[in-house]
Amino acid sequence: MTTRIEMKDVHKRYGANEVIRGVNLKVEDNEVVVLIGPSGAGKSTVLRMMNGLETTTAGEILIDGVDIARPHVDIDKVRENIGMVFQHFNLFPNMSVQKNVTLAPVELGLMSQADADAAALRMLDTVGLADKAEAMPKTLSGGQKQRVAIARALAMQPDIMLFDEPTSALDPEMVGDVLEVMRKLAAQGMTMVIVTHEMGFAKEVADRVVFFEGGEINETGTPEQVFDHPQSPRLQSFLQKVLQA
Amino acid sequence: MNVKRWGIMGLLLAIVAILVVGKPGEPVQAAEKTYTVGTDVTFAPFEFTDKNNRQVGIDIDILKAIAKVEGFKLNIKATSFNGAVQELQAGQIDGVMAGMSITKERKEMFNFSDPYFKSGVVMAVAKNSKIKGFADLRGKRVAIKTGTAAGAYANSIKKKYGFTTVTFDDSNNVYQDVIAGNSAACFEDKPVIQYAIATGLDLRITKMKLADPNNYGIAVQKSDPEFLATLNRGLKKLRQTGEYDRIITRYLGNGSQKEQTEKAKAAGSTDHSFGTLLKQNWGTLMSGLQETLALTLVGIICATIVGVLMGLLGVVPSRWAQGTATTFIYLFRGLPLMVLALFIYTGVPMVIGTKIPAFVAGIITLTLNEGAYTAAFVKGGIGAVDKGQMEAARSLGLPWGRAMRRVILPQGIKIMIPSFINQFIITLKDTSILSILGLLELTQTGKIIIARNMQGFKIWAMVALIYLIIITLLTWLSNWVQRKVQA
Ligand SMILES: Nc1ncnc2c1ncn2[C@@H]1O[C@H](COP(=O)(O)OP(=O)(O)O)[C@@H](O)[C@H]1O
Ligand SMILES: [Mg+2]
Repeated sequence: MTTRIEMKDVHKRYGANEVIRGVNLKVEDNEVVVLIGPSGAGKSTVLRMMNGLETTTAGEILIDGVDIARPHVDIDKVRENIGMVFQHFNLFPNMSVQKNVTLAPVELGLMSQADADAAALRMLDTVGLADKAEAMPKTLSGGQKQRVAIARALAMQPDIMLFDEPTSALDPEMVGDVLEVMRKLAAQGMTMVIVTHEMGFAKEVADRVVFFEGGEINETGTPEQVFDHPQSPRLQSFLQKVLQA
Repeated sequence: MNVKRWGIMGLLLAIVAILVVGKPGEPVQAAEKTYTVGTDVTFAPFEFTDKNNRQVGIDIDILKAIAKVEGFKLNIKATSFNGAVQELQAGQIDGVMAGMSITKERKEMFNFSDPYFKSGVVMAVAKNSKIKGFADLRGKRVAIKTGTAAGAYANSIKKKYGFTTVTFDDSNNVYQDVIAGNSAACFEDKPVIQYAIATGLDLRITKMKLADPNNYGIAVQKSDPEFLATLNRGLKKLRQTGEYDRIITRYLGNGSQKEQTEKAKAAGSTDHSFGTLLKQNWGTLMSGLQETLALTLVGIICATIVGVLMGLLGVVPSRWAQGTATTFIYLFRGLPLMVLALFIYTGVPMVIGTKIPAFVAGIITLTLNEGAYTAAFVKGGIGAVDKGQMEAARSLGLPWGRAMRRVILPQGIKIMIPSFINQFIITLKDTSILSILGLLELTQTGKIIIARNMQGFKIWAMVALIYLIIITLLTWLSNWVQRKVQA
């Protein structure tokens, strides 16, 4: 097994407020890690640190052995290999679906426009939206938008994908399609870190579940360990609350 | 950026270059020296514009005659008395000839030519006024012109006689204030008011003897003895040849009642209907409009370039860049346009020791002021784009600059378009403030025409109408562009 992501005693503070308090976390190749925990626990912050969208106050974040928490790292190069999907999709509203998908690979000189167009159509096909290539983002439903966002991230051919509550902003009937795409990715062996409140999905696809609480990792284990035999009282009460709903 | 866009940029820059460089560039003549002499817009009979909008008057004619006999090239620049004095101080011009009394204070600042005219202060009042002497002024208000010897004299005796003064930049406004009854009297140099009354001004000189007799001279910079010598030599020649007397008689006549009545009749019989006025002044107004449009166009282009660059600097994630942008915006948005214009035109040359042509000074003023506003809304427009857009672009591996150019700017510009249109219209209007530099743009043109024919209401109405028409056209054009861009 090779370690793809490793966080070593990572801290982050906003002024006097320490929001991440010494996190140690490893993600192996082809592993699917799901982060759960109450709102404000620091899940998004930790996830966004993994591709340098958030700065670090202390500690190391190694991506394939390179510490991206240090200054003067070529973060753009690192990001080419790490896709990210946001809660609110963040599609580029001034471009067609296809242009959204092809922008980065073409702009970075990885593909010609023609190759990128062909690849985009394949990518859109895998997320079930081949017919929407010409559409503008504002004409799409939330679920369709999120699937385009996934296709856009995949167009850079990353081998790590980060998801920050990808289904939280969707109507319930849209959630299934997006999860289906993520399930496929996991089955293909994509290394994935997912922040979600979809406990059923987590149980099904996760290799490991990490429970965050107050900026720290409170408990971690296989889905069976975490969901069926939670040890800490915090995790127990958290699961009680979310599973009741 | 594609080829077409570069083409348009290049074209615009070429226009700027031509307008900025080509404007003040008069053909250079190696042999003849060129002297620029500042004067007032209207200080009849010393300087004013005639019916055909030609600059005439005792000062103008004497200057031209000296230039002819002494063989130099003359450039007469009519700003305002005060403006001309400041320009001379700043070294922007070589001399001032504007019915200027030789006083002790002024002599400390400038050198004066030999006196060319004897004058003195008189008091003028409305036709039906009961005021006879200074004693009748107690508790009343007296109108004077900024920086004049008559004004200084009024101020020196106002305590003693218990009156207050109000100052105007223009003789015309001084007279109108008395006619309108706002001021009880005005103090003015005798030949000036004499001429104005002779040609129809509805005021009367009180029967008092000349107060504060003084001499008029041409002011030059202390550092320029050569020009001073040239002027004195020229004046002497004019007196010897009799040209001097001919000029004086041309404007002041022999003082006979008959002649004055004739002049008044000629002035009174002029047709002042709207149509005739428009026809008479059409050419002048249009040349003023042309200057206004040139200022506006070049100003908009320069301000937009500077403003966009500064606005972009304001969002670059670097403390130095943001500090520069913030300071630029704070400084030039905070300064009133007029202060900035005068600072650049009459202030800066004193320090750097080089003249700045009025047009260039005007453009720099607009660039800094309008550029600051532009920078502010460009910065704001970019800031108004959802943060998630930058994050999404960066997460795909795009560097900051490309993410800005390909993703953020296209969205930001849409947000900014209404602000751009607004700023273009404001720029057009703000060019009127540059009339303070003596630029012959639309507003200054209006001032000059009114100074001659006193038809304030009608001429300002015309000027206002022209501004409105141009602004309407500009708005239509902008809306059309906006529809194109946002489609
Ligand atoms: N830009 C910020 N400034 C100050 N505090 C922040 C900022 N972003 C997040 N936080 C704080 O950091 C903590 C963790 O936030 P987050 O990682 O978004 O939590 P989660 O994703 O688990 O809900 C929260 O208490 C939040 O208020
Ligand atoms: Mg979150």
